[in-house]
Amino acid sequence: MEKWECTSCGYIYDPEKGDPENGINPGTPFEDLPDDWVCPQCGVGKDFFQKLS
Amino acid sequence: MRVIIIGNGISGIIFSKTLRELDKKVEIDVFAKEKYHYYPRPNLIEFLAGRIPYERIFAFSEDWYKEQNINIHLNKPVKTIHLDSQEIKQQNDKREKYDKLLVASGCFSFVPPFKGANKKGVFTLRTIDDAFEILKSLENYRKVIIIGGGVLGLETARALKSRGAAVEVVEFFDRLLPRQLDSQGASILKDQIEKIGIKVHFGMATEEVLGQKEMKGLRFKGGKELEADMSIVAAGVRSYINIAKESGLKTDRGLVVNDYLQTTNPAVYGAGDVIQHKGRMYGIIPAAFNQAQTAAYNIFGQEKKYEGTIPSNTLKVVGLSVASIGLVNPEEGNYEEFRKENREEGVYKKIVVQDGTIVGSIWMGTKEGVNEISRLISQKTNIKKWKESILKDNFDFSVL
Repeated sequence: MEKWECTSCGYIYDPEKGDPENGINPGTPFEDLPDDWVCPQCGVGKDFFQKLS
Repeated sequence: MRVIIIGNGISGIIFSKTLRELDKKVEIDVFAKEKYHYYPRPNLIEFLAGRIPYERIFAFSEDWYKEQNINIHLNKPVKTIHLDSQEIKQQNDKREKYDKLLVASGCFSFVPPFKGANKKGVFTLRTIDDAFEILKSLENYRKVIIIGGGVLGLETARALKSRGAAVEVVEFFDRLLPRQLDSQGASILKDQIEKIGIKVHFGMATEEVLGQKEMKGLRFKGGKELEADMSIVAAGVRSYINIAKESGLKTDRGLVVNDYLQTTNPAVYGAGDVIQHKGRMYGIIPAAFNQAQTAAYNIFGQEKKYEGTIPSNTLKVVGLSVASIGLVNPEEGNYEEFRKENREEGVYKKIVVQDGTIVGSIWMGTKEGVNEISRLISQKTNIKKWKESILKDNFDFSVL
């Protein structure tokens, strides 16, 4: 599963870790994150993320 | 220990968050000038464009502050700092004592001193209240001129165009995004912007807002005039250094800090748009973020050097991704520049190479390869062998 990077603050979303503090279980691919999920570090939406290759 | 933070923008919030991660007991008090909770400024553009509703502008909930045990004082601008007694004074003259202080007061929109700047119809975009005022004005006024063809100007132009306004951009310089793009890249961007119906004018210095009390148009140096009933000034920012300056801290264009984000007073630190480090002021989120985290470590005596931030901008303009990293317009020196473009599709890739390493890059119209290039720049990887082929589509970065 691919990691995605927040272009606003550099936070890396790692699907293997998920974002449990905000209700996202480990193993959740980025595409499956709810539309209203925001970067846990700076608060911008999914739209600001780009795939880390 | 009690730490007071002046400012509730990204550096204030990331500083508080990092402090709390480092120590569960430190008392943290944030004094915010605005009445709103922290919001990432890029969300203002999303809100203006109608792409997100008001509630989605904010990042962290009221509960988050409680859980983190961060005391947030909204609508409580700080009036003065007293270095000797280590106190800040609020507008109502109430004093608060600190052991350490972080100045993270940020910047305001600069409005050039043209005539009539205070007529009805002239706006800036920096805060939520600004966004509300612009939206209200759009209800009745639909012809907009954006003053400034930089990052904010272009993103605002597109947002208002998508709201149905008629939008033109006037830029003082001879090209768009003068800091992030070179002439070639800027010309490709201009084509793409005009394709969506936003006209762009260069070499335009605003001299006067026409109209009696309400704006009817703008007049520029040289005599040219354009009609409009609204204008948004996106001509750069200036830092809020007054309070720091008056207290006796060293300021220049910004609040001067050393490699540990410390000001000329050892108990006071700085982070974000307000600071000046080694003569540089950044005004971008990655820098504010970096500085805030580093300052938090230093406050606890865990010496961490701030080495500066490679200036990097990633933005989307007219649906085109534009990434600009490091030195993109080299002047003198032994630099080599390599380019590849596809004008029709708005794709432009350029690298600036010095002694075999990439020192700057423009990557426009495609996200493929941009993360790798960014890494090569920050790691100063030698790419001598691949100078030209690296710009090809589907270049295999694993060879490096």
